[in-house]
Amino acid sequence: MVELLVPAGNIQMVQAAVENGANSLYVGPRGWSRRRDAYEMSDEALRESVRIAHARGVKVRAAVNTHPTSSELAPLLRQMEVWVGDGIDGVILSDVGVMAAVHQAFPALSIHASIGANILNDEDILFYREIGVSQVVADTKLSLKELRSRREIEVGVEVLIHANKCYTYLGKCWMSPYHRLERGHDETGKDFFKGSPNRGGLDYRVCLEAWSLWRGNQDRWADRVSLKNDAFFLLDDIPPLIDMGVHTLKMQGREYAVDLVGRMVKFYRDLIDAYTADPRGFDLDPWKTRLAQIQAQRDLERAKGTLDLFNEARQPVRTCCT
Amino acid sequence: MNRELFELNTTISNMKDLMASDLDPYDAIYLGNPFCRDYEANFLEELDDLRVGIRHCREAGCKVYLSTYAAPRNYFMPQIRRAIGVAAEEGVDAVEAHNLGVVRMLRTEFPAVPIHIGGFANVYTDTGAAVLGDYGSVRVTPNYELSLEEIEGMAKSTGLHVEILVHGKMPLGISDYCFLLEYEKDWGMKCPDLCQQDLFLRQGEWAMKSVGKGVLSGRDVCMLEHLPHLVAAGFRFFRVESISEDPAYRRDVAAVYREALEEVLNGAFQLREGWWEKIQTHTKVGLCNGFYFGQSGQLYIGNQQSAGFGETSARPSTELGRMSSVEPLSRAVNNQLRVIS
Repeated sequence: MVELLVPAGNIQMVQAAVENGANSLYVGPRGWSRRRDAYEMSDEALRESVRIAHARGVKVRAAVNTHPTSSELAPLLRQMEVWVGDGIDGVILSDVGVMAAVHQAFPALSIHASIGANILNDEDILFYREIGVSQVVADTKLSLKELRSRREIEVGVEVLIHANKCYTYLGKCWMSPYHRLERGHDETGKDFFKGSPNRGGLDYRVCLEAWSLWRGNQDRWADRVSLKNDAFFLLDDIPPLIDMGVHTLKMQGREYAVDLVGRMVKFYRDLIDAYTADPRGFDLDPWKTRLAQIQAQRDLERAKGTLDLFNEARQPVRTCCT
Repeated sequence: MNRELFELNTTISNMKDLMASDLDPYDAIYLGNPFCRDYEANFLEELDDLRVGIRHCREAGCKVYLSTYAAPRNYFMPQIRRAIGVAAEEGVDAVEAHNLGVVRMLRTEFPAVPIHIGGFANVYTDTGAAVLGDYGSVRVTPNYELSLEEIEGMAKSTGLHVEILVHGKMPLGISDYCFLLEYEKDWGMKCPDLCQQDLFLRQGEWAMKSVGKGVLSGRDVCMLEHLPHLVAAGFRFFRVESISEDPAYRRDVAAVYREALEEVLNGAFQLREGWWEKIQTHTKVGLCNGFYFGQSGQLYIGNQQSAGFGETSARPSTELGRMSSVEPLSRAVNNQLRVIS
């Protein structure tokens, strides 16, 4: 049975996810995941999330998928001990060094290579498997044909079915911190790298700005150039993905409102159950109508969030440290 | 020339650019365009050209490296394998891999070929670099987001050679999609000419350079006035990123850095007006330091704020050069020197 993996940016979202049929959920420990801190969790909240989820048979993964500094590796491993002790079922990582260190320190812990690891080909998967990864998230740009070859490799495959597709390959972009990077530490010394999605989680989405295209300094060629960044809903592909035997279907959206995430989880739960109960009689059309309503609310929330980020990206950097 | 004391290198995408380029200021050349398979006559696709190109660089007294695709899908891999095969036959000095699948391919299928890890491989931690060292990598370009302090720590803790960008447009991202193709009809120009038009994305004061699937910094990273610090810290492998530049840029900028690095190593470094004039000639948007000083990548920290260099007449002063002197070389530096020579 395919696993439905959903986001949880706070305790209310954990409850909504559990009540609406998630098999697993992922949470971001504060300072360590690819989202801004408002959508991450304290250790106490993470512990409570595990309690709520496990009580309903739902698994919890900790998304520790930013790249830490080298000096943060030792504190990260100490933190990991806490999260493992609290009962997390797995961890989502991006950094090769962190993966190797975590695998060495916690050999029984399931390691999933994040979308931020940008795994694009079968040799990539073999590399990550060799350093201790048990499941990989497929990049959003891969085709079904490319995903099919993954079946030949003994590794769990996770596919994003509800997300946003960046212009660039995810994990291979530092446009945002090029324009604005704000450094700041918490009481433990963790650096937040605000503005760097790879290092701190927050992305100002500068690619979505209305750019003009110039040849050299004088020749203006085009206005409002768009670097494609589309909503990414794999509705049509969900049946073939289930048939293909992918292990996990994943949603993004820790930053959305709790009720929206609850509706999204319910939608995909119902769809997966309907298809697996009767693959031959399954009709996608009514699901497309239902998804359109969810998408309208989701697009509205995202657009507002993007405008806020544009404004924030233009603010002067408050602190600077090295 | 102190050819054995440091390495100055650059990237060249195809035979046309190679033949038009003066390689004299360089010690090594990376051949191949890592952004796009459709880049005009990319060495990674034109393997007869690759053979000739490797020999040409050798005859010019340069080491030769093959640069591979930064974001290779499954269907890229057979061509990458063929290109590495040709490069290996020609005795290439190393292959640059930005993708960990390519690293694995090199280790398993071409174990004799030294591996350089490229800037898109996302090496952010010492431990990550060490893992890649275990896979046979001998040189690492850390992710561009790392500060100099972090990079120095990585070099010391891993013992790997570390290469850094000292001048040119810093890669900021790579896509599978070339948005320039949407404008072929409007502009009456097609691929593969479009991405070679010196195109900049601008939004107010912000600017990035587009090379189609690749996005580069609008401002040129410039570490000229910081070279004494870089040398004292032990760095010896320096890249002038000229992949999207014309042969004059490639020649002039490297000549400035070659001269400056030799002066640093001779203990006689002093910033010269002529150097800044050359740099200014080739600077379209401005200068920056990337992330080397732990700040937003587009900022310039130096003796003079010259972020608008190229758009205004502002020029860095020479004060820092007069103040700088080469610090004693550390043991790690000496070890690196031994390996190079």
